[in-house]
Amino acid sequence: MIPKKPTRKTSELGSRHSPEFVCTPFKLTLGTFIEMLDMGADELGIGGGNMYCRFGLYWPVQKLILEDLGYDFKFYPIPIYDKPLNIVKSIQAVSKDLTVWEAIKAFRMTWIKTRYIELVDKLHFKYRTLELEKRQADRLTKETHRKIVEMKGLGNLRRYGKQIPELFAKTIEIDKEKQRNTIRIGVCGEIYVALEPTLNLDVHRKLNELGVITENTVSFGMLIDFGRKINPFTTLHYQKARKVAKPYIGQRCGGEAQENIGDIILYKRKKWDGLVHLYPFTCMPEIITRSIAPQVSKEYDMPFLSLVIDEHTGEAGYQTRLEAFVDLLHIKKEKIAARKNN
Amino acid sequence: MKKRVGIPRALLYYKFMALWTTFFEELGAEVIISPETDKTIKDLAVSFAPDEDCYSTKLFFGHFLYLKDKVDYFFIPRFGSDHEFNVGCPKFLGLAHVLNSLFPDFPKIIMPYYSQAKANHGKRRILRIIFEIGFKFSYNPIKILKAGIRAFKAQAEYENQLYITEQQLKKWIKSKIFLNGKPNLENREKPLKIALVGHRYVLNDELSNLSIRERLLQAGVDIITSIQMPRSLIESQMEKLDFNMYFSDEREILGTILYFLENNIIDGILQLAIFSCGPDSIILELASRYSRRQPETPLLQLVLDELTSEIGFSTRIEAFIDMIDRRN
Repeated sequence: MIPKKPTRKTSELGSRHSPEFVCTPFKLTLGTFIEMLDMGADELGIGGGNMYCRFGLYWPVQKLILEDLGYDFKFYPIPIYDKPLNIVKSIQAVSKDLTVWEAIKAFRMTWIKTRYIELVDKLHFKYRTLELEKRQADRLTKETHRKIVEMKGLGNLRRYGKQIPELFAKTIEIDKEKQRNTIRIGVCGEIYVALEPTLNLDVHRKLNELGVITENTVSFGMLIDFGRKINPFTTLHYQKARKVAKPYIGQRCGGEAQENIGDIILYKRKKWDGLVHLYPFTCMPEIITRSIAPQVSKEYDMPFLSLVIDEHTGEAGYQTRLEAFVDLLHIKKEKIAARKNN
Repeated sequence: MKKRVGIPRALLYYKFMALWTTFFEELGAEVIISPETDKTIKDLAVSFAPDEDCYSTKLFFGHFLYLKDKVDYFFIPRFGSDHEFNVGCPKFLGLAHVLNSLFPDFPKIIMPYYSQAKANHGKRRILRIIFEIGFKFSYNPIKILKAGIRAFKAQAEYENQLYITEQQLKKWIKSKIFLNGKPNLENREKPLKIALVGHRYVLNDELSNLSIRERLLQAGVDIITSIQMPRSLIESQMEKLDFNMYFSDEREILGTILYFLENNIIDGILQLAIFSCGPDSIILELASRYSRRQPETPLLQLVLDELTSEIGFSTRIEAFIDMIDRRN
């Protein structure tokens, strides 16, 4: 069963039954589970395992809460920070009658689909800013997403995936003048908040509408894309980020703390204009990022905006801060351009 | 002149005090530990610490700032875990880096990194850390090694003394011994038995727990803390759960609560939590849900922060004790 898209109502439902100062993703996932159980689901799956974050302990608490609410169901935690083979084994255990090889194949399909969906998202956030006819990019993205999810067979998927950039370039007419002057902002932060549009009040759309090209610096593929992870000839973005962040934060400490600090440096090198950092209220690792980031951003002259997100975040206040940040970046860019001309 | 090493009296200090102080003293350094938390330190903490950190971490900032002019080195280890797969709080790992980047002009911070669960560190890593730190203070490798060995011995001895055995626990339940001072028995014949549960750095810090121990003793309550609980009991209790509680401090807390809820041998459990502590938010919910399933032993949960009023706090404890009295 595919979960319903979380809405404002989901997060309200989740917060009503959640502990007092737990982080926001807990509330939203709990809300989603309640909605899904109401829709008739009887088996739930969520990530588990040992880590520095409390994410691995979501399911025992949610299980107790849902039991107290009178639901009847089965919970399947899947350890995410584990060895690839163990993840496959736990997927196999959930599905009962799959062989190991079939489980691996299913898992590989998942990560390759994730890869293409992330590619589509990346193009989406670029073309939405530059398109001449509004809503074109939205429509195309929706269509490609649906096609990727429904696509069967690895060969078909790969063939289709290769066409995606071309498809976007052909279908959507872009504003060439605008392309040269736009500001580019990376969106980093705790992975769930950075990627879930309901929770971050659709930060990408807001920024795109302000005329900014955006990109996610964290990706879900980073966790599950073992195809790239095992390949010794590629260095993934997050591995580079961890490496450059070493002097500022020497080890991983849960969440995406180290990656985010590294991204400040990497995106400066890529000549992007700024970073927006989103994290849920009371998230432990991201508070560490937030405390270290100002110094790093000063050193590398990379604007960095940290925003806390929870279910009470006001839309207007949020919009104002983003607008102010974009304005500041515009002013900075003009100043640099003026200095160059002189 | 002896080199001075500053250790803030907060967070992990309460777990590893014997190890750290012995090690540096044996190396010939002067160990300067910040005093018990007082008003000055709290004010420093609240005004300088990042506003979203938990109360205990804020107090750590206070202790750190208090020591800044008095020492040559700070000792703030980045401690991940000392177990095969159970870990500590991520704040412990990040703190040294955060302080380093917030206050770059302060004395140098010695920050060894040790994490058995995530980085697979073992005895070799400990040896390396001992020598890396040791050569800052002495050029004699034998002296350094000796200091290391003595430090670990001291820590083992300290833990031996701290953790009671199961026999001692049985004796305590039969009221043959007191574990934490003699309760004031002016107003009652038999002392109440209450388990005081929480983080080490809360239960041992008079300011952040609003001197709870003294309050309870004055009210005629005989206390046992989660810090003292026999490790074997906690481990066997955790094995009964259908998930692995992977925060090692929280294992202690939850294990104690579950043990007393299940066996129903004492009058009440008092759980102290710190506001916006991540693992605590999970534990509070788990404990309250489990206590609803086994309601024989009453459980009171109090959340503390820098704004907690002393009067509201004491009223709740008095009400809790009154309730227990009425039940008996």
